[in-house]
Amino acid sequence: MTAAGESVSCPTCGQPVWPDDNFCEACSTDLAPAVTSGDSSQPATRQCPNCAGTSITPEGYCESCGRKLPAGNDHVELELDLVAGVTDKGLRHSRNEDAMALATTQSKAGPVALAVVCDGVSTSSHPDEASQAASQAAVQVLLAAVRGGSDLGVSSVGAVKAAQKALAELADSARLHANAPSATFVSAVVTAEQVTVCWLGDSRAYWIDADGPATSRQLTVDDSIAAELVARGLSEAEAMALPQAHVVTGWIGADASDAQPHVTVFDPQGAGAVLLCSDGLWNYQPDVAGLAEMALPDAVRDPLRTAATLVKFAIESGGSDNVTVVLIPFPPGTRTRPGDTSVIAATDLGDPR
Amino acid sequence: MSQSDFTVEIFQNEYLTAGAREVNSIVTVTAPDDLARATDATTGRAEAIIIDCSGSMDYPHAKIVQARAATQAALDVVRDGVAFAVIAGTEVARPVFPNDGSLVIASPQTRQAAKQVVGNLRPGGGTAMGSWLRLARQMLTSGSAGLRHAILLTDGKNEHEAPEQLTTAISECDGVFSCDCRGVGTDWQVAELRRISTALLGTVDIVPDPSGLTADFEAMMATAMGKAVADVALRVWTPQSAELQFVKQVAPTVDDLTGRRTQSGPQAGDYPTGAWGGGESRDYHVCVQVNAAAVGQEMLASRISLIVGGQVQGQGLVRAVWTDDEALSTRINANVAHYTGQAELAKAIQDGLEARKQGDEEIATAKLGRAVALAQESGNEDTARLLAKVVDVVDAATGTVRLKKKIDDADEMALDTRSTKTVRTRK
Repeated sequence: MTAAGESVSCPTCGQPVWPDDNFCEACSTDLAPAVTSGDSSQPATRQCPNCAGTSITPEGYCESCGRKLPAGNDHVELELDLVAGVTDKGLRHSRNEDAMALATTQSKAGPVALAVVCDGVSTSSHPDEASQAASQAAVQVLLAAVRGGSDLGVSSVGAVKAAQKALAELADSARLHANAPSATFVSAVVTAEQVTVCWLGDSRAYWIDADGPATSRQLTVDDSIAAELVARGLSEAEAMALPQAHVVTGWIGADASDAQPHVTVFDPQGAGAVLLCSDGLWNYQPDVAGLAEMALPDAVRDPLRTAATLVKFAIESGGSDNVTVVLIPFPPGTRTRPGDTSVIAATDLGDPR
Repeated sequence: MSQSDFTVEIFQNEYLTAGAREVNSIVTVTAPDDLARATDATTGRAEAIIIDCSGSMDYPHAKIVQARAATQAALDVVRDGVAFAVIAGTEVARPVFPNDGSLVIASPQTRQAAKQVVGNLRPGGGTAMGSWLRLARQMLTSGSAGLRHAILLTDGKNEHEAPEQLTTAISECDGVFSCDCRGVGTDWQVAELRRISTALLGTVDIVPDPSGLTADFEAMMATAMGKAVADVALRVWTPQSAELQFVKQVAPTVDDLTGRRTQSGPQAGDYPTGAWGGGESRDYHVCVQVNAAAVGQEMLASRISLIVGGQVQGQGLVRAVWTDDEALSTRINANVAHYTGQAELAKAIQDGLEARKQGDEEIATAKLGRAVALAQESGNEDTARLLAKVVDVVDAATGTVRLKKKIDDADEMALDTRSTKTVRTRK
């Protein structure tokens, strides 16, 4: 982090930039890169959270008490000024196949926050790498679109395409065509006026209204057997009780499912927060009112704490799946905390809990 | 890691139910095929053959005749350059060749000279195995050989020294040389020879008919010549506050090593495994009790490696993962189950034979019946065949048996000595 007021120059073109600039206006170099749940590098010295031992085997076990140290993405908390997220591998799975990517930037109209959540399909190859690659590729496209003033709905579909391409490259590099890497996708771009949500699969976006559960609502409709049955008149409870309820009918993947991404644009009438999550959360609370009750009122002023609360809720409810929760307060930039700057280096983030 | 390192493979179900503490694993240790090349195949090797020359070896006379012939045959298997010695055992130990209590380097000439002396061995006197072992120790260590091995043949009980003298001798020889023990006829005690062979990391077996000695001696000496490194130890690391329940060799034979631990670090202990030949493979059952961690947590329950010539070789990790998924935690590892059964089989035979000796036919029948069922279930045909000579099998699957009215001593002793032989399951 750079102290405010100090003059700095762009590392690419050398032109002067403000310390809190997100990108260089002269050459468009990213100054505040997007952060993702997978790119937190392991600290040079690690300490066992169980016994405080510092001798760690190459396989990641504590040489003293034997405990496996959490992997880099087993539990990740990310926080940018305008958006925060928590992902956790849960209790049943051996690794975290969810991934999230967050970014903040400036548009002419003001600060913008954006986020992507992907949930790797467990039965595919390398689902953890798939969700990581997909979310990273997508968030870059969204960042560029915001900066370039492009249509955010169109760009969101472009972000899905970029994620698809990343998975195809992953499949090529690892020769995984037989069981192509695949993942679900949900993204949100939150500007001062509008929320643009795009999805494919059963990861969800909700609007958590600061006024309360009554005006909160789910913004996405799952691509799943259950959702299709609900659309045909089955009750949600009946549909979810079916064994194949969770089978997704749309996803991003190298096997190029022909499902088209869905885009919805929403103009909030007041303050609130956009919640993105994998099914690891909503399996335990699919109802928006229930989620809003848990998330409010903190969702608007402390998104990291709220995300952590919701993840904890999912784990305490059974933690049967990986769980990821991202919260973006609306309008972006209304949350102020002393000492904040919008430039947050990636190395400051993502330390395991 | 170079290609000629020992390899360690772990077979286990790492999933534990919440609160469970016991972690079982089968560890397969395999020596590299080119192990022999790693050490000089001839120098550094010393062999001693201890022949019982007590008076009873003359009754029947075939015992001493065949023992001489077997020793001569074994000497022919000793490779040129290997240091060797022959000892005659009675109530004292006598160096036969060389007669000064040192070692001689094998060559066509020395081998011929030794065979001639062996041919003149005459029985007469008692039996004091402790003194035999002590002389073997002295002779085997008189050179610079690191790979030291002895063959001990007897036909009787250790009658001419106090039991403590044998105990002391065994502990003096422990770690100095390995010793394969053979009993000829049926007048010796399995438990006595097993005590020696177990401590000295060798084998024990019965040769009921003296005519079988030559083939057995040749095979034993060939195996000894195939050994390439001595003093290999199994090193087991365990987490702090974990308790090692047991370390057992389970293939090719059951041999409990638990009591033989030497502390090698704050959280590690070494267990002796003796000498190894190229390509040799053995299985171990390691059982450790750890402190349970929360569901979702993973722990390294033990790390197993080999210590060869002071160097760490190979590594296997035994893991513990706590889960509330019963489908995972209730899965029984086939290898662990198999060897748990083989160890129980050996114990059932030994307990059954002991009960029979004590005259408790009911327990003997129950134990040997259980052994029959376990042998059948695990496909241990050799043991099943030996059992069938001691009991009449009514139904092998349920272990329903009747004790035979008349049991040949040799059959009973063969069953006893070979009760620890196991079969491997997989691969």
